[in-house]
Amino acid sequence: GHYCLDINVLIIVFTEMRDKLRKWREDNHRNSEQIVDVGEELINEHASKLGDDIWIIYEQVMIAALDCSRDDLAWTCLQELKKQFPGSQRVKRLAGMRLEALEKYEDASKQYDSILQDDPTNTAARKRKISILKAQGKSAEAIRELNEYLEQFVGDQEAWHELSELYINEHDYGKAAFCLEELMMTNPHNHLYCEQYAEVKYTQGGLENLELSRKYFAQALKLNNGNMRALFGLYMSASHIAASPKVNATVKKANVKYAAWATNQINRAYQVTKTNQLPVEELLLRSS
Amino acid sequence: MAPELLLDSNIRLWVVLPIVFITFLVGVIRHYVSILLQSDKKLTLEQVSDSQVLIRSRILRENGKYIPKQSFLMRKFYFNNQEDGFLKNTKRKVVPPSPMTDPSMLTDMMKGNVTNVLPMILIGGWINWTFSGFVTTKVPFPLTLRFKPMLQQGIELLSLDASWVSSASWYFLNVFGLRSMYSLILGQDNGADQSRIMQEQMSGAAIAMPADTNKAFKAEWEALELTDHQWALEGVEEELMSRELDLDGMFSKELPTGIF
Repeated sequence: GHYCLDINVLIIVFTEMRDKLRKWREDNHRNSEQIVDVGEELINEHASKLGDDIWIIYEQVMIAALDCSRDDLAWTCLQELKKQFPGSQRVKRLAGMRLEALEKYEDASKQYDSILQDDPTNTAARKRKISILKAQGKSAEAIRELNEYLEQFVGDQEAWHELSELYINEHDYGKAAFCLEELMMTNPHNHLYCEQYAEVKYTQGGLENLELSRKYFAQALKLNNGNMRALFGLYMSASHIAASPKVNATVKKANVKYAAWATNQINRAYQVTKTNQLPVEELLLRSS
Repeated sequence: MAPELLLDSNIRLWVVLPIVFITFLVGVIRHYVSILLQSDKKLTLEQVSDSQVLIRSRILRENGKYIPKQSFLMRKFYFNNQEDGFLKNTKRKVVPPSPMTDPSMLTDMMKGNVTNVLPMILIGGWINWTFSGFVTTKVPFPLTLRFKPMLQQGIELLSLDASWVSSASWYFLNVFGLRSMYSLILGQDNGADQSRIMQEQMSGAAIAMPADTNKAFKAEWEALELTDHQWALEGVEEELMSRELDLDGMFSKELPTGIF
């Protein structure tokens, strides 16, 4: 083993390595350094034992290698894939991603254009083109292209989420909220979307939005009792409403009650953390 | 009532088993041939887009209660508005895919027939000719005499119980019976699955219309018109605060590692 990382990774047997890679693949983990470690060893030492699995492993390792700036490894994987699947669009996309990683955006864009010429319905190539715009800092263009993309592929949840992030960066909270609404409808049990929606509403401000934000923080908590960010959000939105001069006595009373409940729960959480001695920052990071 | 016949054990060895093997192998070959002959069905951009729009409208109807009322109404308006609602106003050119107008459908049908029906007939006939003249097996349930000419081809015995069948019947039994074997070995969705293919051909008439898009839009429009917004979050605070938060097991010492 030549890497001074986790020694345990190097001692693991071949089948464990292969299974780990598969699990990471299926769960869509982006733990690229680990993938590169395990994958590189697997490819170099155990290629013959992998059989047909090796192609999908090449793809997985290549993407991880691009994340870690390991162009040598990425190039090797790409060459193997090109040899085995000449003319494949999936491989072309990987070649484009490598060009992106090397910041050769013009060439990458041409690569994706050629895919789209053969198959105008290829969503992966279109999305990579938008990523290029994002990488070049051309947010307005990226937003515009992504909107056009979504007009045709309304069901692409990944794209909706990406668009919501772009809007948040541009402080266009109204439109970000719209995107998050799409996601909440397609994933009604995902507490993270509710929490993000609530945060956007809170940032927009104004009494109506604060009410909405409180409600959605509550919903996120209902879906996942452990979402600390939502708990703090609930406390803050309820307190804000209670402190506002524009509310009547009933509403004020209700919100004071909500804020008190939230405080109670936060204290309970601190009791638990005191025994585990976690700092506040980690407490806030606990949104799952 | 029927006397128990004792079959020559050679029959078992040289008839029953070979027929099983033959059927199975033919099925496997059919599977691979169907993969080779498979033509890619290319959907147009518009079809993909439309199908997603329909899904979105359906999701709006089903899960619109999770977003605020205003947001729901805005989207309902976008779809159903009298003047320029998407579902109301978008008309697609629909060409019903009959075999005459759509040449690829014709070739698909032909391929389907060649790979499935033809081999079955040929092999069935060959088996009937090769393994004729003797009884192969007995079905475990009693049959009426009307089945005799069908199941006892080539056996000219008037007094033989209809439960005793010829090799051709055994062959057909195998064709359907080996379905689960195919699933085990070739994985789901395999081209050797005869009965599934026949089922598909029967319901094919329904599926062959790639859902007349205009009709689908109209149906969605009607369904959406009828949908009202019942906000799921109306009493969420009360529901949430009716009990303490479940904080068990949340704060373990280990944070999962990220990329690095």
